[in-house]
Amino acid sequence: MAPARVSQTELDARKIVGVNAETVTNVSSTDIPGHYPGEDHEWDLEDFRNTFKVKFHKHQPFDCAFSLIGIDASIANAFRRILIAEIPTLAIEYVFVHNNTSIVQDEVLSHRLGLIPLTGNPAGLRWLQQYRKPTDEDPVGSGVQDVNTVVMKLKVECTKADNYDELNKKREDDPRLLYKHAHVYAKDLEFVVSGRQDTFFSGEANQIKPVHPDILLAKMRPGQCIDMEMHCIKGIGADHAKFSPVATASYRLLPTISITKPILGNEAKKFARCFPKGVIGLEEVSRSEAKQKGSGYEGHEGEKKAVVKNTFKDTVSRECLRHPEFEGKVKLGRVRDHFIFMVESTGQYQSDELFLESVSILKEKCASMKRGLAEYTR
Amino acid sequence: MSREAYVAPTSAFNTGTTVDPGPGLTTQYICGDCNQKVLLKQGDGIRCKECGHRILYKERTKRMVQFEAR
Ligand SMILES: [Zn+2]
Repeated sequence: MAPARVSQTELDARKIVGVNAETVTNVSSTDIPGHYPGEDHEWDLEDFRNTFKVKFHKHQPFDCAFSLIGIDASIANAFRRILIAEIPTLAIEYVFVHNNTSIVQDEVLSHRLGLIPLTGNPAGLRWLQQYRKPTDEDPVGSGVQDVNTVVMKLKVECTKADNYDELNKKREDDPRLLYKHAHVYAKDLEFVVSGRQDTFFSGEANQIKPVHPDILLAKMRPGQCIDMEMHCIKGIGADHAKFSPVATASYRLLPTISITKPILGNEAKKFARCFPKGVIGLEEVSRSEAKQKGSGYEGHEGEKKAVVKNTFKDTVSRECLRHPEFEGKVKLGRVRDHFIFMVESTGQYQSDELFLESVSILKEKCASMKRGLAEYTR
Repeated sequence: MSREAYVAPTSAFNTGTTVDPGPGLTTQYICGDCNQKVLLKQGDGIRCKECGHRILYKERTKRMVQFEAR
């Protein structure tokens, strides 16, 4: 049997998820073999190559937004999950407290240190390997080496400022002026080079340092001090959120709005107000439209009509579905295979790099799956 | 979270010979009022030598303590 011919409008209609006042319809994708009798929906690489599109909307180093068009939800979701939980990053993991007389408890301070996003020479960060912790099966682990551990130090002591008495006389009450190191910031962390790390992390620009230097870690008063050493290791977000390279990675489906019957005059203005700015525009009904019989525009020449301008900006609040005057005039939906990704990096890697990394991790997973299957069927 | 390992006393009647500095040895405390360091011998009254405050604090351990940053 020859493959059945399906019109493009039918194919496009199948891609729309219906968004109604209380329900969501047509949720699952149907472009899979055997769903429609007589139609060929076998996955084809050449076909995918021709139809798949990537479009950038925002491209900043640590914040980007782009569309993946023509991909299945399972794959798009895999990328999202890998971005959040499986791309290894460097973070403080072990804290050795020599002294801490600040009011922040050792445990709390350690926790805060762990959450500091770190950055450094990207080549060096890629060169670093994941540290394997000792377990019952593997009592040695990978061991602490220059390729898997970065050492940092935090040694600060709070003292009175040189001109303390003078300031005190003037009734100065800002502790940052009265005392040295009254506030301990992330910039007080000091990178310690070990082994071969100097080839990557030497110099101000390349060394391991916090992304944001002004993260407040603790407050102190004269006589108090903090002296600790930290070991940073590479880990993944699945183990602890501090290792997640994104904050956060998400996607949404491109909204669609179709006006099925004319919305005119003041109703059009009200309709536009149901959506964020720029989604709905107002245009004049043209002469030719007004002449067309059965279009709903007859005798309305020159009046304002609501037109869909940019659905990208819509939040799909469904506000327009609450008003009886728009009933049966509008249909909301989303395009099932148009994923608008938003990837915001915590600063260790660039956002676009992170997405490519998620692709290569998925690739690696597939390769290992394939190897496993080959082993199994041998 | 691993604090220093607890060491059980070796005998029931040994009332902490490891902690007790013994006669002649002094231990340093910190005054709760004036933050002055106070050296006390066994049998000394628990009192700050500077201000007479009766609450003294033990110093933090000099040993390294390891934590996980979690
Ligand atoms: Zn005192």
